Amino acid sequence: MAMSDAPAEPPDRCEIAVVGGGIAGLSTALFLARAGRDVVLLDKGSPWGDSSGANAGTLSLQVKRTEMFEMGSTSIGLWAAFGTEMGIDVGFHQPGGLRVAESDEQIAFLREYGAEQEAVGFEFEWLEGNQLHDLAPWLGPEVRAATFCAADGYASPLIAGPSLIAGARKAGVRVISNAEVTGARTAKGGYRLSIGRRSLECEYLAIAAGGHSTKIAASLGVRLPLWVDCNMLTVTEPAPRIMDKVVTHIGGIMSLKQHVNGTVLIGGGWQGRGKFSRQTREIDPLAWVQNVGLGARIAPDLKTLRVNRAWAGYEAVTIDALPLLGRLPGLENAYVAAGARGGFHMGPGQGLVLSQLILEGETGLDISRFDPARFPQ
Amino acid sequence: MSKTDFDRRIATGLDRGEAFTFTFDGMAVTAYPGESVAAALIAHGRRKFRETLKRDMPRGLYCGMGVCWECIMVIDGRAAVRACMTVAEPGMKVETQHGLGPSPNTAPTEGSAS
Amino acid sequence: MNQADLAIVGAGPTGLSAALVAARAGLKVWVFDDNALPGGQYFRQLPKQFRKTRKTVYDKEHGRASELFTAIHHPNVTYLPNATVWENPDPGILAFAAGERSGRIEAKAILIACGASDRPVPFPGWTLPGVVTAGGLQNLVKGARVVPGERAVVAGNGPLLLVVAANLIRAGATVAAVAEAAPATARLWRNLPRLLQAPEIVKLAVNYRGLMAKAGVPYRCGETVIEARGTDELEEVVLAPIDTRGRLDRTKARTVACDTLVAGFGLNPSIEMYRLLGCDMSYNSYRGGWMPKRSDDLETSIPGIFAAGDGAGIGGVEFALIEGKLAGTVIARNLGALDERTAAIQAAPLRSRLERFRKFRVGLERVYAPPSTWTELATDDTIVCRCEDVSLGEIRAREAQGFTSAFAIKGSTRMSMGRCQGRNCLPTLAAHIAARDGIAVEQVAVPRGRPPARLVTIGDLLQEDLPAPVFPTDPHLPRGEEVI
Repeated sequence: MAMSDAPAEPPDRCEIAVVGGGIAGLSTALFLARAGRDVVLLDKGSPWGDSSGANAGTLSLQVKRTEMFEMGSTSIGLWAAFGTEMGIDVGFHQPGGLRVAESDEQIAFLREYGAEQEAVGFEFEWLEGNQLHDLAPWLGPEVRAATFCAADGYASPLIAGPSLIAGARKAGVRVISNAEVTGARTAKGGYRLSIGRRSLECEYLAIAAGGHSTKIAASLGVRLPLWVDCNMLTVTEPAPRIMDKVVTHIGGIMSLKQHVNGTVLIGGGWQGRGKFSRQTREIDPLAWVQNVGLGARIAPDLKTLRVNRAWAGYEAVTIDALPLLGRLPGLENAYVAAGARGGFHMGPGQGLVLSQLILEGETGLDISRFDPARFPQ
Repeated sequence: MSKTDFDRRIATGLDRGEAFTFTFDGMAVTAYPGESVAAALIAHGRRKFRETLKRDMPRGLYCGMGVCWECIMVIDGRAAVRACMTVAEPGMKVETQHGLGPSPNTAPTEGSAS
Repeated sequence: MNQADLAIVGAGPTGLSAALVAARAGLKVWVFDDNALPGGQYFRQLPKQFRKTRKTVYDKEHGRASELFTAIHHPNVTYLPNATVWENPDPGILAFAAGERSGRIEAKAILIACGASDRPVPFPGWTLPGVVTAGGLQNLVKGARVVPGERAVVAGNGPLLLVVAANLIRAGATVAAVAEAAPATARLWRNLPRLLQAPEIVKLAVNYRGLMAKAGVPYRCGETVIEARGTDELEEVVLAPIDTRGRLDRTKARTVACDTLVAGFGLNPSIEMYRLLGCDMSYNSYRGGWMPKRSDDLETSIPGIFAAGDGAGIGGVEFALIEGKLAGTVIARNLGALDERTAAIQAAPLRSRLERFRKFRVGLERVYAPPSTWTELATDDTIVCRCEDVSLGEIRAREAQGFTSAFAIKGSTRMSMGRCQGRNCLPTLAAHIAARDGIAVEQVAVPRGRPPARLVTIGDLLQEDLPAPVFPTDPHLPRGEEVI
């Protein structure tokens, strides 16, 4: 969902340029501005107009790879803090999440996965049979086991977008729409970005432009290998409460949640028809019905609800499903945050890391596994 | 004037058949076979069908053709049923919809999910 | 998958007349309709259980309607009532929800005949119970022989106000005022030659006016409703004149007590199917705003997809009937069921009749053209999005924060995200932005329709027999294409 679009021209220079008005870029810019730095945020269209506005908003620790726990936990903490400490309502709720399994094979996988998660200190509860159905009577009979993670929740992309844009502006970020960075090169004391016919000089550069990061980095001679999924999302009419947890699925990809306003969001990363290279994104009507059908098997009350709309949005991912987070190889004062699976969830944490790298030159989080230099240049 | 005292059905040239009743918020309302819930309610001066979630505003029949969703009510326990598109049945339980309406039986009892 | 020569969406005058012509020519036709009974809005039927004891004024269309309804019984026609066409998954294929019969159909030609609905124009109090659209009133009378109140005001714009007033009078309701925004009467004589291209319709209008005069119902031109008042239901409306420069004169407002307000501001074509299909669109404010571009054969920009009736530009029932027949004829010809010569002979009188009604329509549009800014009635407290309860004030607050495009307003207020899928508010939002920015309405970019075309129950979708899904082995890994 495209958000703010107040017309403004980019300035000629600034201290820090952040490219990309999604959750990672806005978080980076917000944290830097709150630290008193001079930040310009550039978006090729409208901030929040791409993946951040089009995703499911799921904040689920237990669906993430174990390497992502620290970043995932930090991010959930930040999602909570936007509202409680920064006065930015992002529609954050933490009802806890169930990761469900239906078949023997899935139950075995859930156990195996749980063991790996426990090994890195992750806390969850194992539920099966009556215990599970007493906690969640709205689950379908085919759901036989689940892990429950109290930390799981969601943020509302619709609420978060306008709030974060307004919050960033209030903190002093100059948010510029329709400012596509078509190229970048090193310049004296920093970087010069081409924005159409204009240019912007900055000391620090933070790229958080999802799948578009590849092209921008390439103009600086850096290779950022990314793939882009085209995920389908579905939202129902607002309905009385039919479920009270965030649900994910161990076997089939799926996420389910019911918002405070009663709408149920069905996601999970079923692929629509779309090509990032052509900027097309449509639903695939067959896979879409399968996606919705899986949701209705897990929470059968869904069958009585009407679908209001469905859409598809991009998600940029690396080939090892870990983010590209840190300094651009071979360059000073240029950073990237892109390609995290579950990038909406991870956005605030990645923003924190980039802001710390720019402010202090280091971060307390272990980002060694995410070093963009791990891929051959 | 009691609202059940009158009938806004046009009588001329029509045999509507055998009247029956359904309940609207517990009170009996007369209807005829094939009539929509909305028509039967309006015939008896019942025009407020729901209150909105966000502002508790009263709403009733507006477009009358299933497009606007303003006339949604709780019918036989099910929320958000369009009164203009639903044929009244004997013994049907029609209720004013407050906000989202009631949850199905399997729903969380606390309703605390947020 | 189901197969058809022609799939028709909508069983109103257009869809039924097209079905009849095409089926008689030998085409296998499927007709999908949202309603329980055929007829659409214009030929809306009483419940099957009602028995007419004698002919009344309401039965004047009985003859035409009966012939149309034979379409659904034609052996070549499969008719699906209570059916929602929700997506065009692939070229030539429609997906539909109809309870246990939900599924997909592959058709050699598709006719979109989805009709129209009332144009939403927000004004203070317009959400009160007791305020109904002109179409809503007509449906109550036609479909149930019920009137919504005892004392009514009819306000808005266009000839439908006369029909509504006449129906209320016949039903014994008191019509306290009829307020027509356009200076229609003053323009009548100048446009009479055009209007007389359709003397049968002029005669109807004269009858309605006669009925109003006899009942002592005043018809004021150059007056509009500016507010509806009441606590839980409508109690009174405020009407104000529009001066010669087309501006509201609130100083001369009058208050009229009533329990019913029929607000009819003209109609908008139902365009969701064209948006889904990707048809090229054009804008014509006189004919209801956005509509598909069409060839002389009523074909849209997508070969094999046709559009006819009010859903392709407001023209009224006569247009709908002729266009339906013409569409049925050209589709039968295109698919080889009618030879060129027969089709041309069949189409010729339809085309000339269409030409005559086009002239009439131009006359009608000139008589009823409303002043351009008269719809700016909403105040900060006025609800502009009924489904999500969004007020104009909320929109203005977001605009002040820099959320100015239709997309940004939608995203930040939830406007147009409700069950009506924007039908009842996107025209308002576009008009608001156009007025704010001083641009034409058609230049305002609005969020495009998303599937499903109309709300569809998940249980219905799952009636379809679909192959089992294939899950990815590792859901963390990319499934899309590499960025180059």
